[in-house]
Amino acid sequence: MSEDAFDSFPHLLGEWLKGSGPDSDIVISTRVRFARNIRGFPFTGRASDTQRADVLRLAEDALRQVHLDRSVVTLELNKLPEIKRDVLVERHLISRELANGEGPRGVTYGRGEMLSVMINEEDHLRLQWIKSGFDVDRAYHALCKVDRALETVLPYATSDRYGYLTACPTNVGTGMRVSVMVHLPALTLKENIDQVFKAAQRMNHAVRGLYGEGTRAFGDMYQLSNQTTLGRSEEQIVEAIKAIVPKILEFERQRRGQLYTEERSFVEDKVLRSLALLRSARRLNVQEMMSHLSMLRLGVDLGIISDVPVRTVNELFILGQPSHLQETEGRTLPPNERDTLRADLVRSRLAAGTN
Amino acid sequence: MDCQCCNKRPAGIRICDVDDNSIEEQINVCPDCFNLIKRYMFDITKPLMVTADVVREVQGLLNAGDKALATIPEPGGITPVGKEPVPVCPDCGITLSEFRAKGRFGCPRDYEVFAEHLDPLFERIHDVQPARHEGRLPVNSAGEETVQHRQTIADLRKRLDAAVAEENYELAAQLRDQINEAETSKQPESSKESS
Repeated sequence: MSEDAFDSFPHLLGEWLKGSGPDSDIVISTRVRFARNIRGFPFTGRASDTQRADVLRLAEDALRQVHLDRSVVTLELNKLPEIKRDVLVERHLISRELANGEGPRGVTYGRGEMLSVMINEEDHLRLQWIKSGFDVDRAYHALCKVDRALETVLPYATSDRYGYLTACPTNVGTGMRVSVMVHLPALTLKENIDQVFKAAQRMNHAVRGLYGEGTRAFGDMYQLSNQTTLGRSEEQIVEAIKAIVPKILEFERQRRGQLYTEERSFVEDKVLRSLALLRSARRLNVQEMMSHLSMLRLGVDLGIISDVPVRTVNELFILGQPSHLQETEGRTLPPNERDTLRADLVRSRLAAGTN
Repeated sequence: MDCQCCNKRPAGIRICDVDDNSIEEQINVCPDCFNLIKRYMFDITKPLMVTADVVREVQGLLNAGDKALATIPEPGGITPVGKEPVPVCPDCGITLSEFRAKGRFGCPRDYEVFAEHLDPLFERIHDVQPARHEGRLPVNSAGEETVQHRQTIADLRKRLDAAVAEENYELAAQLRDQINEAETSKQPESSKESS
């Protein structure tokens, strides 16, 4: 409701970007999401604006009642300008679908940006918790607390047979999706990434780009998530992810090690050229920025670069996105101006001696 | 004499509408058209018509082509072999084919209404058999009570459908009343909370 929340936005970033937590050399974040719907209403896609407004109000009241955190922010997206909505997308607080949606809809999130609740996305409620690093248990248990509190005040649509009822049949049952965002530069360089995709698919898991379904994997960032939600308990979904991800991490680490020992000059050349480019460029498009940041991140992990903290790299991935730049400037910018600003931002953050 | 339906083939069969032993109308048709007319007349989903009206309908379908003709149900003796009733959700109005086309449900009730069509779909999507929820459900007692209540109504509806299919209208009427009673006696709490 208040737009004040945005004042701090371009400068502060979510907890999940701090580059800490288990396996943070490869895993950026772990996200757990529950899809929930309120009984007595059609799903969002078939709800009238009046019904959507009712759902929004019910959800906001419920979130207030369980007062999860005194510092949550609630925004009604139909009252928010497009750029601000896109900023939320870039920060992974809302989906592209919710940003571009219609009618009464909103988001409630904690100041630490770990919890976010989308209201009137495809389902009435999409609760998510993001943790830095590979930390499924913490993210899952934190989200369960919110869910358990909400179910005492909101009548969820469920059935004994099919569990939590959702708009899309791919989410029915637990309504639960675990997504692990991984940085796989070595597997990409060594062209092993297709193997990872296929292996994940065989185990009913999907690999997607940085911003979810249908998006490209910029900067060698991928999201691995469970594909199936019915016929398995929440614990089984967690265990499956905990079994698969370490295999991918091991594969990536093994390839990183191989690069460093067997192709040292090749990888050093790539990393240091990227650093030089990022420190000198006067114009950078998003894709270029992300692919060089990816090499930087790899270089930090391999010890080729020692004066750039991983958090700075993680943050630049988000701060250099188009809407973040425009929000900082307070106006819409044509692409070439954005490229100039992006290069300025990256140079200032990476300037030798600032970190 | 030419068939009065297709106006092409020779007529060989005379259809008479009889009312109180007096012949009201006579129409001469060919054997092919007679078959179509018979099938059309035996389709119980259509209202009762005099032969002349049926012939006019069949003529329309003949002119419209094979696709239109295919809408006439196949002959199946006395048992009405008609189009199966299209499943429609009474809450949100979505049909099964609409759900199939969009891949999205309209409301939670659809899971009951389309229940018999869902298991194969869910088994495929979720690569699991049987397609049953294995996870947790909300624990608050109000929720459980309503789930049970919902199940009762779902069972009643299934029995109602069966009764209608068997043309047991007496039982169907009883079940209808029971469903109405169950639905009004215990509205979900959600509607109250919002007021």
